[in-house]
Amino acid sequence: MRRAAAVLLSMCVAWPAQPAFAYLKLSTRANGRQVTLKWAQTPVRYVVSSRDAAAGVTVDEFQAAVGRAFAQWQAVPTSSIAYQFGGLTAALPGQDDGLSTLGFRNRADMDRVLASTSFLVDVVTGSLVESDIVFNSSFDWSTAPAGQLGRFDVESIALHEIGHLSGLGHSALGETELREGGGRRVLGAETVMFPIAFGSGTVAGRTLKADDIAGISDLYPDGGFSTSTGSVSGTVTKDGQPIFGAHIVAFDLAHGSMVAGFSLNAQGQFSINGLSPGPHVIRVEPLDDAEVDSFFDTSLTVDLDFKVAFLDRLVIVAGGGDRGDVAATVSRK
Amino acid sequence: MPADLTELSRDARAIARGRVVAIDPRWSDDRRSIETIVTLEVETYLKGTFGRTVQFRVSGGELGRFRSVTVGAPEFSIDEHVVVFLGADGPSVPHVLGLNQGVFRVVRAADGWVVSLPSAGSPISGSARIVRGDTSRRPVALADFEQRVRTLAGGPR
Repeated sequence: MRRAAAVLLSMCVAWPAQPAFAYLKLSTRANGRQVTLKWAQTPVRYVVSSRDAAAGVTVDEFQAAVGRAFAQWQAVPTSSIAYQFGGLTAALPGQDDGLSTLGFRNRADMDRVLASTSFLVDVVTGSLVESDIVFNSSFDWSTAPAGQLGRFDVESIALHEIGHLSGLGHSALGETELREGGGRRVLGAETVMFPIAFGSGTVAGRTLKADDIAGISDLYPDGGFSTSTGSVSGTVTKDGQPIFGAHIVAFDLAHGSMVAGFSLNAQGQFSINGLSPGPHVIRVEPLDDAEVDSFFDTSLTVDLDFKVAFLDRLVIVAGGGDRGDVAATVSRK
Repeated sequence: MPADLTELSRDARAIARGRVVAIDPRWSDDRRSIETIVTLEVETYLKGTFGRTVQFRVSGGELGRFRSVTVGAPEFSIDEHVVVFLGADGPSVPHVLGLNQGVFRVVRAADGWVVSLPSAGSPISGSARIVRGDTSRRPVALADFEQRVRTLAGGPR
């Protein structure tokens, strides 16, 4: 049965490594250590499955749409990530076969999930072997330039999933509402890596935002990223104790954009890289409106019991510099 | 993020609360991908039934030198207490609804077992904005959570 209210994108399994990192980067255990899921060599070669199709979208249209999404990530000037289309394949996505395959498939366990990204990791070397993206063919899809009523936009969803394929986890820069009768609807998102997609019929998710650009550039820095942008780092404490999993948002007053990160270690430390020089408002908030499993490994205890707080001063970011003196204090609900 | 409890409760074939007692990675039936069979010792069903122990399938797992990670697939640990919303097609091994949307972790707090919910149930009419940091949002006592799920699922109260 098709569910109109199903708007979920794949969710991440992120184990933040030490020390504190900006953004959530996907990682996994390999050979007794945590390794970031990151491509050691680029371009990342991918193939498109011609096996299953979705009503209304041909293989050529699908390949072109995902190609545009790959191109957008590759065009980020401060990132070195690159991709290469390797042709069509009769293989299905989601098979552990050494190929990074994108395509449609109808899987029972993807009930109410639009698309999902998977990785195969060599646990001896820690290297990525492949990454597949399954688009759920039980939904209605479209590649129309302006979207199509009642159908989900392939390019928007591909943009999100390719962020995962590249190693990015979810970003929490989004807002939702509950609807009568069930389901959540996205009211707005300042990232394509928000775990819930916009509804059908829209192409609102086709454009990378400042948070996405900062994240991919932090993973694969290039083109003056370290000198043209700056960072904010510091700690978050409650009752004098550091807290884990606080969401910290840096709002760029000059551009009206947002980049966010989390406090990612036992010391409550955070670091947000890729910020435009200039004044920023810093907001600290709990991830209490989200399914925490979609951001963090379940073994980690994320503190959700605190009120939203703003830093009592503007933070002036300098290009190539780090404002490492941010000490944010929050209080219990 | 989960759809919400209303959808999950309505659509699940069975809803079980229990303790994870086994986690077994294996090759899928078509031998083309790695999956994990999770065994749950059931303490109670909030909807339907699959027996005193239930096995369900999740994507990913580690076999030999390879680890398959499906982004969004739930992961479990032995002795963990969970409520799982299960779906099943015919006689196949059940699966968790919506990857990790269909898993709620039950944890012990100072005043008993609780479940953290990102939102309350759907509004009776219209829509309701979910506000991050809402000071009224707190973990729900397990008994209250179960009562809510039973009600949404149309089961016994």
